[in-house]
Amino acid sequence: MKKLTAIPAYLWAIVCLLIIPVCFIKNDTFANEMAKLPFMKLHPVYSGGDQAKIITDPELVTTIYKPVFESLFGKSKTGFVQLKFSSPSDTLPLIIKRDIDYNSDNAVDFGIEINTQTGDTKLTPVNTLVRNINISSKVKKNWVVRVNVTNPVKSK
Amino acid sequence: MKTIRENSFSTTGKIGKSLLLLLPMTFLILLFTAGPTPSFNSKVSLVAFLITFIFFNVLFFMILYKGKVDRYRATGFIVLALFFALTFIVDLIGMRGTMTFSHETMLSCEIPFCHIVTTMVILPLIFTGSIIFPGSIIGGFASIASMLVIVIGVMLALGRGFCSWGCFYGGWDDGTSRILRKPVIKKINPAFRWASFAVLIIVAITSALVLEPTYCDWLCPFKTVTEFEKVTSFTVLLKTITFVSLFAALVIVLPLLTKKRIQCTTLCPMGALCSLSNKINVFEVRIDKGKCTECMLCTKVCPTMSLEKQDVEKGKPSITCMKCGKCIDSCSKSAINYHIKGTPVGKRVTLARMLFLYPAFTLLVVFTAGNMQQGIVLLVKLFTTGSLL
Repeated sequence: MKKLTAIPAYLWAIVCLLIIPVCFIKNDTFANEMAKLPFMKLHPVYSGGDQAKIITDPELVTTIYKPVFESLFGKSKTGFVQLKFSSPSDTLPLIIKRDIDYNSDNAVDFGIEINTQTGDTKLTPVNTLVRNINISSKVKKNWVVRVNVTNPVKSK
Repeated sequence: MKTIRENSFSTTGKIGKSLLLLLPMTFLILLFTAGPTPSFNSKVSLVAFLITFIFFNVLFFMILYKGKVDRYRATGFIVLALFFALTFIVDLIGMRGTMTFSHETMLSCEIPFCHIVTTMVILPLIFTGSIIFPGSIIGGFASIASMLVIVIGVMLALGRGFCSWGCFYGGWDDGTSRILRKPVIKKINPAFRWASFAVLIIVAITSALVLEPTYCDWLCPFKTVTEFEKVTSFTVLLKTITFVSLFAALVIVLPLLTKKRIQCTTLCPMGALCSLSNKINVFEVRIDKGKCTECMLCTKVCPTMSLEKQDVEKGKPSITCMKCGKCIDSCSKSAINYHIKGTPVGKRVTLARMLFLYPAFTLLVVFTAGNMQQGIVLLVKLFTTGSLL
């Protein structure tokens, strides 16, 4: 019986001998395969959520993301809407001023004004669900703003 | 005269045997030091390669020749921690101009994923099907997928051996715990060895609830020697004070006074997760009860308090064992050895030892080789130009 258990034990030990070098030599291959798994994606809290619409103007491209109300179980009472401003010429205008309709009801929900030199960001809520600025920061050649909003479903 | 000749023959034989066993490792050291297609763009990088190559060959030769593991393992392990911190910080400053990260770094999801984060992403992964970390899934430096492959592989192959042979932070408290010859604080409640499990449960649950890696955010002491959030608010200041204090207490002062790896034993959630992987890992440390005289020296030297009197009586350390080899080296009766589960205790000891040492030392080489070479180049640059950048 002891010999029977010893054979797979030694075999498994030899496999372990190979696992370490293979893990590093073939790391790119394994990592690429792992990245294809359905759960290997960033949580919307980090990715900013899915894109809802892109508005293209001559000097500014505005990307509005779907509101993120994620929690561990179901949806939370509050969340955020991410906006990304980029310029076709790679140079952001000094002042970015836009009216945003984040829930696609054809009504302005808030106005936003950003001074890209100083980072000063002013929020003008129109919709009562709009709360305050969460983050406003330059990200590479773009400007990203997250505006805290209340979940309309949970606020009822 | 005869005895001297016999001794010299046995020494020659021992050297020959050690050199023979070193050969496969020399090949692996060469592979992971020079890379599959070696290219040295300067004399300094060639010298750095040679120093690293010789360093690891000497370390493994000494492990084989002297029959001692821990002293030589620790040398490589401390070198890993120091060079990792040096190269990481210099790279960061080169890239960002600072050791701090900002909203910009987080929004662009460019924070390197370290193995400890694994403990915090598991529950959210199960419940939300996504990763709660501002890093990149693939590509770039220390991507999430790449690091998870390494974590899974190492836990399968070595269990908690990861903490003594591959963790690029562990060398800090391993190093400080070796500074004094004798401990100042001799009595520590062995129940503390379970503290990291409590930390694991707490950070896993809190991270899932707030969808943020709470240990990284608030507690990780090693942010002191890698990267940390830019202080822009009172909360961030509080976080900074917390992790710097933990670094000072658990990585410097307490290991120094107790000669134990206090941070790894009591705080690190990854240590607890790796301990659980010891259950499925084939390698373990066992005590041959036929040889053991119960002198309890092993219980005194164990850096993680994994060997207590009741463990010696049972013939094996608790699951928190890091397989560092300190107890094995301390035993004058050679009663403690690496062992392969499912095989008889005390039999084929050398085979079990070699089957463990090859993958474990390879892990040390893989993590250290690149950092050490880059570190040597940086130090040469510092001495010749006065700048690391």
